[in-house]
Amino acid sequence: MARILLKFSEHIVSKPIVSEVILELEVPITIVTAQLNSKGGEVLAEVPEETLDKVVEAFRKKGVEVRLPKLIEVDKEKCINCGSCVALCPVEAITLIEDCSIVFNKEKCVGSTCSACVDACPARAIKSVKQNNHEVHSNRP
Amino acid sequence: MEEKALNPQKNTRTVAEINEKIRKGDAQVLTAEEMKRLVESSGVEVAFKEVDVVTTGTFGAMCSSGAIINVGHSDPPIKIDNAWINNVPICHPGAAVDLYIGATAMSETEPFEYGGGHLIEDLVNGEEVELRATAYGTDCYPRTQLKTNLTKDDLNQFYLLNFRNCYQHYNCAVNGRDETIYTYMGKLLPRMKNATYSGAGELNPLMNDPDYETIGIGTRIFLGGGQGYVIGEGTQHEASSQNGTLMVRGDAKKMNTEFLRGASFTRYGTTLYIGLGIPIPILNEGLVKKTAIRDEEIFTNVVDYGVPRRDRPKLAKVSYKELKSGSVTVGDRKIRVSSLSSLKTARSVASTLKAWIDEGEFFLSAPVETLPLDTKFKGMKQTEATAYVANVMQAAVTCKETEEVSAIAKRIVTKSVNHIMVVDDQGRLNGIVTSWDITRALAEGKTVLSDIVTRRVFTAKLDEPLETASKRMAQHHISALPVIDNEQKVLGIVTSEDVSKLLGRS
Repeated sequence: MARILLKFSEHIVSKPIVSEVILELEVPITIVTAQLNSKGGEVLAEVPEETLDKVVEAFRKKGVEVRLPKLIEVDKEKCINCGSCVALCPVEAITLIEDCSIVFNKEKCVGSTCSACVDACPARAIKSVKQNNHEVHSNRP
Repeated sequence: MEEKALNPQKNTRTVAEINEKIRKGDAQVLTAEEMKRLVESSGVEVAFKEVDVVTTGTFGAMCSSGAIINVGHSDPPIKIDNAWINNVPICHPGAAVDLYIGATAMSETEPFEYGGGHLIEDLVNGEEVELRATAYGTDCYPRTQLKTNLTKDDLNQFYLLNFRNCYQHYNCAVNGRDETIYTYMGKLLPRMKNATYSGAGELNPLMNDPDYETIGIGTRIFLGGGQGYVIGEGTQHEASSQNGTLMVRGDAKKMNTEFLRGASFTRYGTTLYIGLGIPIPILNEGLVKKTAIRDEEIFTNVVDYGVPRRDRPKLAKVSYKELKSGSVTVGDRKIRVSSLSSLKTARSVASTLKAWIDEGEFFLSAPVETLPLDTKFKGMKQTEATAYVANVMQAAVTCKETEEVSAIAKRIVTKSVNHIMVVDDQGRLNGIVTSWDITRALAEGKTVLSDIVTRRVFTAKLDEPLETASKRMAQHHISALPVIDNEQKVLGIVTSEDVSKLLGRS
């Protein structure tokens, strides 16, 4: 799965754009997080890797700004299992298990839209990295 | 008489007897966590009979750490005046070629990311490092410049020499401010949205022998994956308040990076994580009881690190049991709490030390001298006064939100100020209006005050050092801060102009 960050402006936020794209392309889109109000906002969504290009194109056609957020990666070799990151994670993607090891759940993580843990890691084991194999950097085609 | 009463059921044992058992492979060793379970299930008497040694451990950031190295003499020789290794400035406390790597010294090229702690880790790991040195040159030490690459094998001595390690317990930190702060207690979110703590609680070495009955000068310990010694009480040691610390030394050439790691605390600096474990010989039943201490019996204070003073407000008392549960209660709030030290590695320290003793690789040593129990940790004697916000605060000019822009404009002129605080009926801060806001409102034909009020206001406290208030103004590019009390009531205003006058900056 690839993650996309959709930015809706005030003018289009009331339109059912996500539903339209799902119906038009017949692609499943999972909403990971959404922060929207009448003035616009952001939706972090997950789409199947192979559909990424056409999904991005479809959203852009409808005036949505699309970005590929960076993903959080934890280097287990560097991690010292201190736990500094745990309470900072708003989505509980980082947890301490029974033996006090740190476990990172990539599925739950919202990536560079949050990044609260990155600068809190004393071992510098947490990095924000680009998603693989995709070049969807700019909003302009 | 008493001696007779003790026999044949002897109720003391000596370190020498325990070492004899270790030699024969008969010593019974438990980690502190195992000991607590045993005492709970079988009682003190049984635990005393069955257990000879209890191993403890901790693994955390210990900033007052470092390494003393001797790099040998170059030819021609140099009396090092300034030195850098991997661009980290190094102390030169001794004669010519003795250097001290402080854990918190930061690289001049990669500050906050690489420092003394990382450098020590690299050396322990066998990596090559670059030494640069300068000197003024003498008849006996003519050389003035030096550059060479070294590994730990090239050093004559490489000893960790830590003047304050192994805090018995430490504060739990929160941040009452409106902004995220970065401290040696890690990243603290605004308005107490998270908390951090450090320490292994019931596994901490000093917590298991709080009267320093067995831990003293000469006690052999686990240090950084190798063996070391307690060489005295640590700096700031205050046993009476459970703030005991240790000064330790150990051969860093024999350490390993599983238990010794450089670390970076954003906007604070670099440090060194160290694993330290102490075997507690169970010499009597009193030590059984001491080593049975549980997390729920060990307390620490929740402290507001948002207050930039030496004596920060203590907001609550919490146990290590609560801390390890992941959340603490402060007033009516539940706050998520993270550990900065690693309990996993602390356990690994205690179990490694246990294995060493079981295998006859580690023998206990009785202290040659006990540590002081009566020392007090004093604050600094200051001979120059520090400036606080209260020293320069002026009366605030206020207004109500219902007033018209024109009325505020007049007030700015008559009072000759640039900032007006918007307050409610109780005098609590609701916002701020500047002369610039008024000018703009007039230019744009706005007459309603509420349209131009800035709601997110940076504030200062009366007892805050002027330096931090000044820094906040610079950071947010603002020229004044309303001074408020804990109820948000406006007490006055501090302006960058007044600060400059007092601190002598422009």
